Amino acid sequence: MICPFCRKEFVAKDAKKECRSCSSFGGCQKVKCPFCGYESPREPEFVETLRELKKKFRRKTDADK
Amino acid sequence: MSQKRGCGCQGGPTSEESGLKKIVMVGNPNVGKSALFNRLTGSYVVVSNYPGTTVEMSRGKCRIGTEEFNVEDTPGMYSLVPITEEERVSRDILRDGGANVVLHVVDAKNLKRMLSLTLQLVEADLPVVLVLNMIDEAERLGIRIDTALLEQKLGIPVVAISALSGKGVDSLKEKIASYHHPQETPEIYYGETIEGALNALAPIMPVDRGLSQRALALLLIQGDAAITEEERALEGRSTDFLDATLAELEERLEEPVSYAVAMILHQSAVNICTETFAPPASKSKSFANRLSSWTMRPLTGVPILLLVLYFGLYKFVGEFGAGTIVDFLEADIFEVYLNPWINGLLTTYVPWAPVRDLIGMDYGIITLGIRYAIAIILPIVGTFFIAFSIIEDTGYLPRLALLVDRIFKKIGLNGRAVIPMTLGFGCDTMATMVTRTLETKRERIIATLLLALAIPCSAQLGVILGMVAEKPAAMGVWGGFMLFIFLFVGFLTARLMPGDRPNFYMEVPPLRMPRPGAVFMKTYTRMQWYFVEILPLFILASVLIWLGKITATFDVVVSWLSHVMGWIGLPKEAAVAFLFGFFRRDYGAAGLFDLQQAGALTGNQLAVAVITLTLFVPCIAQFLIMKKERGLKMACAIALFIFPFAFAVGGTVNALLNLTGIQL
Repeated sequence: MICPFCRKEFVAKDAKKECRSCSSFGGCQKVKCPFCGYESPREPEFVETLRELKKKFRRKTDADK
Repeated sequence: MSQKRGCGCQGGPTSEESGLKKIVMVGNPNVGKSALFNRLTGSYVVVSNYPGTTVEMSRGKCRIGTEEFNVEDTPGMYSLVPITEEERVSRDILRDGGANVVLHVVDAKNLKRMLSLTLQLVEADLPVVLVLNMIDEAERLGIRIDTALLEQKLGIPVVAISALSGKGVDSLKEKIASYHHPQETPEIYYGETIEGALNALAPIMPVDRGLSQRALALLLIQGDAAITEEERALEGRSTDFLDATLAELEERLEEPVSYAVAMILHQSAVNICTETFAPPASKSKSFANRLSSWTMRPLTGVPILLLVLYFGLYKFVGEFGAGTIVDFLEADIFEVYLNPWINGLLTTYVPWAPVRDLIGMDYGIITLGIRYAIAIILPIVGTFFIAFSIIEDTGYLPRLALLVDRIFKKIGLNGRAVIPMTLGFGCDTMATMVTRTLETKRERIIATLLLALAIPCSAQLGVILGMVAEKPAAMGVWGGFMLFIFLFVGFLTARLMPGDRPNFYMEVPPLRMPRPGAVFMKTYTRMQWYFVEILPLFILASVLIWLGKITATFDVVVSWLSHVMGWIGLPKEAAVAFLFGFFRRDYGAAGLFDLQQAGALTGNQLAVAVITLTLFVPCIAQFLIMKKERGLKMACAIALFIFPFAFAVGGTVNALLNLTGIQL
């Protein structure tokens, strides 16, 4: 996903590492940008899946050109 | 520890196995690396995970003239000092040392933002070719780049291409085929202190790690975990010298090493771009660029901020959310239909008074907890989240950070603190956690105090705006006092806690129109998060109040607080709202809202109540996070300061209003 504050790209797994010391029992729906620390709502899984599919499709169409 | 780590990607032979030369492509995400990779390799590529990780990387083959190359497309990276796993993988591939050519692919339109990584790669003595991708788009925007001068400044080949159209790709292939490692590349000067440490540490760095000794030393002093671990694990070497050098560096340097290095790299990139990168002529500057500049200049930025606050918070959240929607839900739905219905059912079917009180009546789970959560907090928080998501999606927040940097510096904070401060308007508890991203301990303590004291959370802010929306004078007194207290306490704390005034810089992403889909998704997710979190807490608070009532402790505490209420000029019923505030700030604010709707507060009392409640001691969750982040002693000290301070300020405002005879 892309951080809405610094617009750097990261994957949810990297953001999860930032949650280790949180006291929200892992129940919150937010992710913390590993670059700037800004918190934003976690993207629903289907959005992430769609983004990945789009990336793969773009890669394929680029290759076909 | 000095063995070389092979890439060993699955799905095909490595360069070492096949004997082919290797091209490694690196760069930020979304700069067109994959498009160039596909253009070089054709459609046959192998996508596999880097060993031991779930990070994907692509490998393929490319023929230039008669020679065949292996090409590797690495995950996106922003710096040689890795923060994410993807960056770590990219850095490890570079450290393998097997690359014959490293293509650093950048977006030609944003050269300044990306040149820092080029400088790091050159400094690491890697065989770098700088690829200015999307040059056609840059030219269309009127950007001109002097590639010959850029080559001279960096000491490496530079090629401008468009991976999508294929423009310049042949030229790039020629540069790859004829690549010769330059004899000498320009070196960046990091200042006497850092250079001293580099000169001391570089000679003891290993020579077989793919990066130059100087680059390894630079990574080491920036606290790179992998390099530090490897150096410490080297057999037969004492770490005393290493520790002493690092300790001395930290002592002599005014700011964190990584920050100082990033600043120098950024400045070097700016200097190079000043001579080689010609932005579009000012007359063709787009409206977005102009607006972007206006938002960051104090003279125009402050009026823009006021407009955002007026329309985004006051009109939309205060008047529409806390006014129109809350009126409908609370007065028309809960008060008229739901509460009387629940109380009627309970009176008819439940003979036990304590059970009736637990579910309904004055402080029951449904009549108080759920009513507060759904009829008061939800519409306010919902409208706030819509406004916030729009502001966030435009890219306004980083600009706000730069604008407030000047003010924050006066009170000992830097613009980076705008992140926790802004988040505080959403939830102070989470914002307190984010204070750990601030550079110095001093900044972290000041930010934690200010968050606990003077930054109302979203729900509290919305309820307060809803309360004072009909009394603009009371809102003025509240806003003025809060701003004064924020600046005054921050200023005093900064004086009491001596330390350096940190510098601040950040890359500002482009300003853009908010995207409806993204705004919807952000609002939806935030509301879901908030609702899931607060509803159980509101129910719990109702149960605790019920317990307090049946054990009579509730009445004792309320009676004790009533004296304080009298002292600050509030009716004794307000004591209940302040007691609610211990559980959650917004719960307390909702209690006051209820009181005001019932017409129990005059204009003056309203101003005193909202000022005192905003300053009031942080909620239980925020206190626990303060304890976790700053330690029990500091958390207690902050809470013990805030509690009497809030009532003292409330009392002072009340006395001032009475003395001057002002009626709000």
